[in-house]
Amino acid sequence: MKYITHKPKRTDFIIWFAVLAVLFLFLVISRQYLNERNPLMLLPISLLALFIFNLLVRKSVHFKAYFTSPYNIFTSKVRSEISFSISNELMFDKVIEVLSESQFTLVNENRENLSLFATAKISWLSWGENLYIHFEDQKEGSILKFCSASLFQIYSWGKNQRNFQTLIEEIEESLTV
Amino acid sequence: MAIIVNLDIMLAKRKMKLKDLSEAVGVSTVNLSILKQSKVKAIRFSTLNSICEVLDCQPGDILEYVANEI
Repeated sequence: MKYITHKPKRTDFIIWFAVLAVLFLFLVISRQYLNERNPLMLLPISLLALFIFNLLVRKSVHFKAYFTSPYNIFTSKVRSEISFSISNELMFDKVIEVLSESQFTLVNENRENLSLFATAKISWLSWGENLYIHFEDQKEGSILKFCSASLFQIYSWGKNQRNFQTLIEEIEESLTV
Repeated sequence: MAIIVNLDIMLAKRKMKLKDLSEAVGVSTVNLSILKQSKVKAIRFSTLNSICEVLDCQPGDILEYVANEI
């Protein structure tokens, strides 16, 4: 078994933090010039609306492209690939078995496309997490492609990575019968 | 892989299905299928013990060492 991880770059976080900090400062400084009719007041309302929208659609598998898109700056993503010497079909059932005993809740399984969709609960550290797993064939075995997207966080503070790491350890452990 | 699992041969000899063995041993069919393909990371003595008990055989009937050809 070998795996490749694509961690989110810290510079991305710094850039977005700087943008938000400037925006926040701008709002604070210009507060006295703002009123309800000012279009800038739409910003927090828009963010709140976006958050509620994400919350509502988070468990829909049809929004996979929306949550995993690199252009969606409000969801931090962790992508990883792991290869196993076990066939796709068996690994598919194995991962379902592991997910049912993990902190993730299996939401959707598609045997035709060999893809799984699971969610992690909302906690103090995170607004929740969507985990998309896709299985691909390789010469001798399968490749599991993971994409973990947070619900509404520019930076996940490593929680996605930790959750994912725990899941991998659980899969590895389950290969001891 | 130098260790070959002959679980399918033993199952055929005992005319038993994988599902029945899974229920008798308490190991999921997925795990037994992976074991059958010799793709598991390790096998617990307790699992081996249960399989041998249900199939009425010796560990050597299930596990076989084959030297790798150079």
